[in-house]
Amino acid sequence: MTGDDGSGPRADADGGGHPAGDDTEDGAGDQQESVTDGPYAAVHTRPEGTATVARMALTAAEADYAGIVVRNHGDADAVPADPSEREHGDPADGAYVPAAVADAYDVDVVPAVEIRTDDRGQAAELLSRYRDERVVVCVHGGPLNRWAVEDPRVDVLAHPTRGEGDLNHVLVKAAARNGVRLEFDLSRMLRRTGGERVRAVRGLRKQREIVAHYDAPFVVSTDPTSHLQVRSPRALRAVGETVSFEPDRIDAGLREWGRLAARNRERLGEDFIAPGVYRGRYEEVD
Amino acid sequence: MELESTPAAAFDREALQGAVWYAAASLLGDSASADADLSVVRFRRADGDDIEGNDRDEGETGETADYHASTAGGAEATAVVRVRRSEVERARAVLACVDAVEGVPVRTRVRGVSGTVRACEEKYLKRPRAGSRDRTVAFAGAERRASTRGRRVDVELADGLVGATELDYRDTDH
Repeated sequence: MTGDDGSGPRADADGGGHPAGDDTEDGAGDQQESVTDGPYAAVHTRPEGTATVARMALTAAEADYAGIVVRNHGDADAVPADPSEREHGDPADGAYVPAAVADAYDVDVVPAVEIRTDDRGQAAELLSRYRDERVVVCVHGGPLNRWAVEDPRVDVLAHPTRGEGDLNHVLVKAAARNGVRLEFDLSRMLRRTGGERVRAVRGLRKQREIVAHYDAPFVVSTDPTSHLQVRSPRALRAVGETVSFEPDRIDAGLREWGRLAARNRERLGEDFIAPGVYRGRYEEVD
Repeated sequence: MELESTPAAAFDREALQGAVWYAAASLLGDSASADADLSVVRFRRADGDDIEGNDRDEGETGETADYHASTAGGAEATAVVRVRRSEVERARAVLACVDAVEGVPVRTRVRGVSGTVRACEEKYLKRPRAGSRDRTVAFAGAERRASTRGRRVDVELADGLVGATELDYRDTDH
């Protein structure tokens, strides 16, 4: 089970006011936090997108993110390289050394993946494989929504209401039970207009209501495939507000990626045996 | 506000204004966007070739303006957008939704908010960060044309531009 971390941001975060008046966006006035506490941007890089991991990291760092989550779809994977090996592969093909990029731009770099397939059998195989290889494992929302929320090994169900995807009370309840974060995908809010944006807003609203009702865990992202699509957390709070999305929830959802990464890194560490089973500790799990 | 785009971007203030109005009307609706009243009152592009010493942060000493421009455009620009005081957050949302100007993809980022245009210019509108330089880099298994700005490099591949940084390539023309 995955209940050890309080499973995510909650609906009733404190209502912090916005800073007003003359203020810089460069973080001078903003609260400085430890790396895993800040907002994270979940991104798609080369070869799926048009920016390398390094360019995304640099851009995200300048936009006040504490980290990026590299979550290319498995069929256009960006593969983290082992820093101890001599050749690291081609950055143009998505190869990257997380620690090197993190050091260069002072931003956390989280190796992740987004599993995309319509076939549950294949999805299960991919999940088993990636669970040990990547810090964060997402599932591409849509036909697999139902499957994904039933497996506690899934970290994030991505954009569950995009396209044909739908959410209902049963699914959200299962997600809450299994600790599967439901992603609020703001990409359509930002980069579409007209009918597509209207449908996206409608989907987000419905998701918000059900998620709040079951106190289900969630993350927030904008799903950029280019560094030019990165927007600051502050900009996203403002965008959210135009559709009555509380700014604190946007924040909580951006930070949740970092918390998830921290939790999973601990699990991937030596003491970790299986979800809920640790060696040599007595933690309350479940 | 700062803008980042492609190295060949050549849109002007009017085009940016058009994109801002379009984004405002689309996101907020006509009446609310009229209330917000976003106007692009200053626009400056970091154009042309710059001499060495990219990534210079203190602005006003640069000679970029007198330099012969190798292209009409440039990937970086800054703008001042005037907005009603009470509508700052909504304006922020609108600017976040500006993702292209005349079909050219752009990234927008609000550097800060001030009470007057002049204060805004003095406080946040330093000269755009870095001059660009065309060079050839080894990337994706071949020598490629690229435009570098400080740590950034935009590389031309057959299927379009790729955003990279100094970590991703080796410089091959010295």
